[in-house]
Amino acid sequence: MIALAVASSFVGKYPLSVDKLLAGDALQWRVFLTLRLSRTVVGVIGGAALGVAGLVYQTVFRNPLASPDIIGVSSGASAGAAAGILFLSGATAVTVSAFAGALLAVIFALALSGLDRSGRNSTIVLAGIAVHSLAQTVLMCLKLTADPERELASIEYWIMGSLNGISVYSIGGNLILCVLGMIALFLLQRQVVLLSAEEGEARMLGVDVGRLRLAVLLIATLVVSAVVSLTGLISFVGLLAPHGARLLTKHDRIGTMLLSGFLGGILLCGADILARTVAATELPVSIFTSILGAPFLIFLIVRGRRQL
Amino acid sequence: MKKLISLLLVLATLLSFAACGRTDKPEQTVPPTTGATVPVTEETVPEPTVAPSHYPVTVTDHAGREVVIEEEPQRLVSGYYISTSLLIALDLDEKLVGIEAKANKRAIYKLAAPALIDLPSVGTAKEFDLEGCAALEPDLVILPIKLKSAVETLEGLGIDVLLVSPEDQELLTGMIHMIADATNTGERAAQLLDFTATQERYLSETLAGSATPSVYLAGNSSLLSTAGNAMYQSDMIRLAGGVNVAAQIEDTYWVEIDYEQLLTWDPDHIILASDATYTVEDVLADPNLAGCTAVVNGNVHQLPNKAEAWDSPVPSGILGALWLANVLHDDLLTDADCAAKIDGYYETFYDFTYSEN
Repeated sequence: MIALAVASSFVGKYPLSVDKLLAGDALQWRVFLTLRLSRTVVGVIGGAALGVAGLVYQTVFRNPLASPDIIGVSSGASAGAAAGILFLSGATAVTVSAFAGALLAVIFALALSGLDRSGRNSTIVLAGIAVHSLAQTVLMCLKLTADPERELASIEYWIMGSLNGISVYSIGGNLILCVLGMIALFLLQRQVVLLSAEEGEARMLGVDVGRLRLAVLLIATLVVSAVVSLTGLISFVGLLAPHGARLLTKHDRIGTMLLSGFLGGILLCGADILARTVAATELPVSIFTSILGAPFLIFLIVRGRRQL
Repeated sequence: MKKLISLLLVLATLLSFAACGRTDKPEQTVPPTTGATVPVTEETVPEPTVAPSHYPVTVTDHAGREVVIEEEPQRLVSGYYISTSLLIALDLDEKLVGIEAKANKRAIYKLAAPALIDLPSVGTAKEFDLEGCAALEPDLVILPIKLKSAVETLEGLGIDVLLVSPEDQELLTGMIHMIADATNTGERAAQLLDFTATQERYLSETLAGSATPSVYLAGNSSLLSTAGNAMYQSDMIRLAGGVNVAAQIEDTYWVEIDYEQLLTWDPDHIILASDATYTVEDVLADPNLAGCTAVVNGNVHQLPNKAEAWDSPVPSGILGALWLANVLHDDLLTDADCAAKIDGYYETFYDFTYSEN
C-alpha cells in the first residue's frame, strides 16, 4: 500500500522531479500538493472505504455477492449525478447531487423494507432491487432528454468512474465523511458480526436487529456515497476486497475488516495509476478495477466448486 | 433576400422566354413583302432548346448505398441538424416537411428559417419516429448513418433515403455534393463550397509565416475533455494558425485528460467549445490552473454559439477558423475583417445579418 501510494505520488502526466521539488519550484509544489497528492489520498482512502463498506454489506446481508448496489446506492448516485449534470452547473454541484441521489435511494429502500414488519434481510434486498430499477428508469429518462454532444457524454463518463478531476479543492468534505464513517464501522465491528448471525439468534443475544442494521447500513451507505459522488461509479472494489480479505485472514473479524480496507485501497490506487499511465489520455478507472476484479471473481467461483 | 433572388430569377426566366418569343417569330415567318405569306420551311425551324433533365440521378451516400432519385424531390425530411442547416443554405427549407427533434434549441433555425421550428419532429438518432416520418409522405429522407436500421422500412414504403455522416471536412463536402445532386441544387452548393475554399486560401495567405501559438480546445462536456489530431476541431486550429496541444492524441472522439496533462501542455490559449456547459469565468477562476499561461494571460475564450457551433462539421465550419484566427492573430485578421466575412456568409446563404442578431 505504501509503495503504491509513493508510486502514485510520482506517476502522472506532469513531469514532477524530486530535484525541482527540493529546489522549491512553486509550480512543482502546487501540482504535487493540489493534484497529485489529493489523487493519491482519494485512491487510498476511497478504495479503503469501498472495501470496508463492501464487507459490511456482505456480512449484514449474509450474501457474498452483496455490494452497495444491492440497496440501490450506485444507481441512486448515477441518477443524482445525471440530474446534476442536466440541471445544475459545476463539478461540486454534480458531487452534491450524486451524494443526495445515493442517500435518497437508500432511505427509500429502507423505508420500503420497513413496510414489512418481519424485518427480514430478504425484504431489504427486494426493496433495494425495486429502488435500483426505479433509479435506473430515472437515469434512462434523464439520458433520453440529455444533449448527446454535451450532457450525455458527461453522464456516460461519470458512470464509468475516474479520478481525473480530483484536486485538493474538491475532496475535503467527502474525505472527512469517509474517515468518520470507517471509524464508526470499525467501532461497530462486533455488532456487524452479530448481524450476520440468524435473526432469532441475534435477538437472543440482546441485539436490536432492526435499528442496528439500519444504523450500520446507513453509515456504510454514507461512506460509499461520499466516494462515488466524487469519483463516479467504481466497479468491483467493494465486492473483491472483502473476498480477498476473508481468504487471507480466515476467521479474524477485525483483521478481515482492516485487510478489506487495505485491499480496497491497493486496488483503487493501483487501478488509478494504470488509468492515468497506460494511454495518452485518461481511461475510466473502472476498466482496470474490473480487469483486475473479474478474473479474481472467476477464480473464487472455480475454487468454491473444487472445494465442493 | 432569398425571396427577392427567387423573384428576380422568375423575372429573368420570363424575360428570357419573352426574348425567345421575339427571336422565334421572325424565324417562323418570313415578313410579307409581296402581300403573300410564305410557309416556314423545315430548315428555318430551330431545334427546341430543352435542357437535359437532371433526373433520374444516382447518388452514393455515406453508407456506400447507391440511391436512384427518379424525380426532383418536393417533400424533404431531415433527421440530422447538420443536413437541416445545409438544406437551409441550399434554399430548400420550404421543401422540408419534417425535421429532427429539439429544433427549437437550434439558434440557426430561429434566425434563418423560423418556420422549421413548427415542423413535425421525426425524433432523434436515439429515438427515431419511423411511423411519424412515413406519415409525412416525404420524397426524400436524409438521416444520420446511425439510423441505417430505418432505411429498409422507409424504402419499402417507396421513400428514398440518404444516410450521411459528416464527421470531418471531407465527409461534409461529400455530403454537400450528395444532397445537392439529389435535390438539383448544384449551383448553390458550388457557391457554398467556394466560400469555404476562398476563406481557406485567405487564411493560408494571411497567416503565412506568422507565429503559431499553442491552443487547448476544451470540449462541451467538461474542461478536461479535448479533441485530438484526428478530429475536425484540430483542423480548425491548424487553419487558424495555431497548434493543437493535444495533437499527439489519435482518438477519433473527445477524450478525457487530467489537470496535470493540461498544465504539462501549458497552452497559450484555452478555447472552450461553443456549447460548453461551463464558462470562461469558471476556467479563469479554477485554482487548479493558476499557473497555466493561458489563464495567467487571460487568453481563455469561448467559440460563439449565437447561430451554430462552428467547432462541429457544419457547412459554416470555416467561420470557426476565421473567428479563431482573429483571436490568435488579431494583428493580422482584425475584428472588422472577421465580422464582415461572417456577415457575408450568413447574408448570402441564410438570409440574415449575423452582427445584427
